[in-house]
Amino acid sequence: MSTPVIEARNVVKAFGGAKAVDDVSVAVEAGDIHAVVGENGAGKSTLMRILSGIETLDSGAVLVDGQEIENSAKSSLEAGISLVHQELSLIPEMTVAENILLGSFPTKAGVTRKAEMKRIAAETLKEIGVDVDLDERISRLSVALRQFVEIARAVARKPKVLILDEPTASLTPAETDYLLDMLKRLASQGLAIIYISHRIPEVFRICNKVTVLRDGQRVFVSEVAKTKPDQVINEMVGRELQLGLQSRRQANPGEVVLAAHGIRATGVNNVSLEVRAGEIVGLGGLVGAGRTELVRAIIGADNRTAGRVVLNSQGKSTVISGYMSAIRAGVAYVPEERRVDGLAMTMAVFENIYLPNRRELGAGGITRPGKMLSFALELANKVGLRPPQVKLEAGQYSGGNQQKIVIAKWLGRRPSFVVLDEPTRGVDVGAKAEIHKLVKELADQGTAVLVVSSDLPELLELADVIHVMRDGKITGTLAANEADEKSVMSLAAGEKLVEA
Amino acid sequence: MGDPLTQVNALATSEAPNKEISTGAKVLAWMADNGIFVLTAVLIAVAVIGVEGFASLQNIADVFHRAAPIGIVAVGMTFVVISGNYLDLSVVAQVATSAVILIAVSNEYGYIPAILAAMLAAAVFGIVNGVAVGYFKANAVIVTLSTTYIGLGLLRFFSGGSIFFGPYESPLASFGAGKLGPVPYSAIVLVIMTILLSLLLTRTNFGFTVRSFGVNERATRLGGTNTGLVIIGAFLVTAFSAMIAGFVLAAFSNTAVSAMSTGYDFRALAAIIVGGTSVFGGKGSVPRTLLGVVFVSVLTNVLVLLNISFGYQQMALGFLIAAAVSIDALARRAGKK
Repeated sequence: MSTPVIEARNVVKAFGGAKAVDDVSVAVEAGDIHAVVGENGAGKSTLMRILSGIETLDSGAVLVDGQEIENSAKSSLEAGISLVHQELSLIPEMTVAENILLGSFPTKAGVTRKAEMKRIAAETLKEIGVDVDLDERISRLSVALRQFVEIARAVARKPKVLILDEPTASLTPAETDYLLDMLKRLASQGLAIIYISHRIPEVFRICNKVTVLRDGQRVFVSEVAKTKPDQVINEMVGRELQLGLQSRRQANPGEVVLAAHGIRATGVNNVSLEVRAGEIVGLGGLVGAGRTELVRAIIGADNRTAGRVVLNSQGKSTVISGYMSAIRAGVAYVPEERRVDGLAMTMAVFENIYLPNRRELGAGGITRPGKMLSFALELANKVGLRPPQVKLEAGQYSGGNQQKIVIAKWLGRRPSFVVLDEPTRGVDVGAKAEIHKLVKELADQGTAVLVVSSDLPELLELADVIHVMRDGKITGTLAANEADEKSVMSLAAGEKLVEA
Repeated sequence: MGDPLTQVNALATSEAPNKEISTGAKVLAWMADNGIFVLTAVLIAVAVIGVEGFASLQNIADVFHRAAPIGIVAVGMTFVVISGNYLDLSVVAQVATSAVILIAVSNEYGYIPAILAAMLAAAVFGIVNGVAVGYFKANAVIVTLSTTYIGLGLLRFFSGGSIFFGPYESPLASFGAGKLGPVPYSAIVLVIMTILLSLLLTRTNFGFTVRSFGVNERATRLGGTNTGLVIIGAFLVTAFSAMIAGFVLAAFSNTAVSAMSTGYDFRALAAIIVGGTSVFGGKGSVPRTLLGVVFVSVLTNVLVLLNISFGYQQMALGFLIAAAVSIDALARRAGKK
């Protein structure tokens, strides 16, 4: 066996107490396309950031051509490791040529040599087989072309190793085909490619090796020819199903409370769904599938380009056109980004709880401090805030308690439709169970609940119906009794489509 | 940044026990919060003991009398600062516009039409600034710099750059010179404005949303708030305060001219920041601004009494603001770590 071009040896990286990457080894040879797959948060991106020197490692080593390299972005780059970022890092106001050579402009006595720059950029684009005007500004390009320019930028550095992190996340099928063919061609010229994805069909199309990460550990490595999509998905999900430990509630759905029809918005392509009183509807899928975009479009927090949403609450039917009308009609929204969208961190708990309830509590627009405090205290106790000190700043509480504050502020409005986006992300186990209990109680009291979650066991425990999304569409709907981690994951990763 | 990484990071920080705060950070935070009380006390003590002519009733009444117009602007502009939109530079144009309208229009048509016209002008300023900043999300500094120029330009166009005089004996003139006991009316207006605006900020839903917006704009919007209206409100409060400041200023000399309020933007901001209201928004109060006004005014008075030239006075004010905003920024950063 020849020396691998790049090798990660027993790499460990922890954030706080949590190990994001736990003793992972990966080796890639020249001409290989090696897939690294795993669920959201499995440690793929962290590992790649370590390989490209952006993230420091706690222990272990990165080797290029058998030589250990220093753990820095500069030495990784010099050793020939080029990372194509998951989130585009191009400068929109600069031209294609400028972006391709960003950071390595050819200069003469400090003056950029434009002609030389364009020559190199043109050469690189030709090499990867992309035709785009060198003088066009990035802001005028399509997402796919930007992605290709991003790859050109990595290739222009003449790397030995090319790392791509979810490069097809926002591409159409045709664009994806083009990109996959491009990678195959680059590999055949002797480049070692690491391909990060959670799209299994792509892995089986172009990769010759696959490594599966789960909870930061390498749980599986194989030649692609010797395994099957099913097996890879099993390894990705992996964990023991804990059905016995969960107390699934007996759902008793009533009338339709929320009906969304033909929703289109950025990242959402013609989605319809209904949520009934007393029902918990789950939205599964991978990051970037359009779940958050969908719920925000439904409640009017972001604009939608098409679609109609009707909320039936207390015998009244309201067409939801904007966020303010949604709130007034009885919608509550517990957002994904708790710290940014959910709470004013340096304000007191009681003030955070007051915000959405101020019109009801502060008649005539006058605040009543005594009422504010007693109202907040009652809700804090209801959600189990510990300690229930409503005068403390929200930021002084832990993640789980902060999430309880966000829930508390909406419970005060007795909403008829509650949207929770990743309700327990970054929350400890105890608080997670309490939040689950709260969500179930809400549904038991007749509230219509829509839960977005990337946490499969959570989704399976809470939801009565699970819609799985991929590429902005619902790719499948599973009833609680027929859903398991594997069925959700196959729909989310699009494995079924390849078999069809 | 890769998404899974941010998730892990969020997890790590959210699970961390209440972060330990270094001594340096505590000192900075204390200074940002309480420095003004100590500074004002020390300054007044030094002035009373060491500066001849300071500790007379006449001088102190005079200090407050002079401080009133800028103070009234400052207590109003506190709303814009707390909303996280830095400042309203156009108060310079607003004060002058109000003063010129009051005298010029009242000379022709009487006080009521004059006050109505000034209110209309204030509403236009407040709404234009508020819509541009609140709805178009334009930068407040640039927007209000533009409206300063537009406002002053219009004012010079209509006034021809001339000075307007009120009649020799008028209610306005007697108000400008009037006192309740030893206390000038202007100072009473400043105190009343402070009390009213403080209640508006702390005891109404509008004030609550201004503070909440200053802390976290997105959470405030998602909490069911029309944030554009909140910002328009903050600029309207500033505009109406500037209008009243213009009335008080016009009453002082019974004259009005477009250049009469030069420097009010910076002096008002100095009072607000020195008072301990954060330029990052969300933190501060109206009484603090009053305290900042007192500090800046007493400092200026002391420098005048000590015969220190105007150039040095300007420098002192510059240094004061630079120090105050630096402490504010350092305290915020230290608190974050």
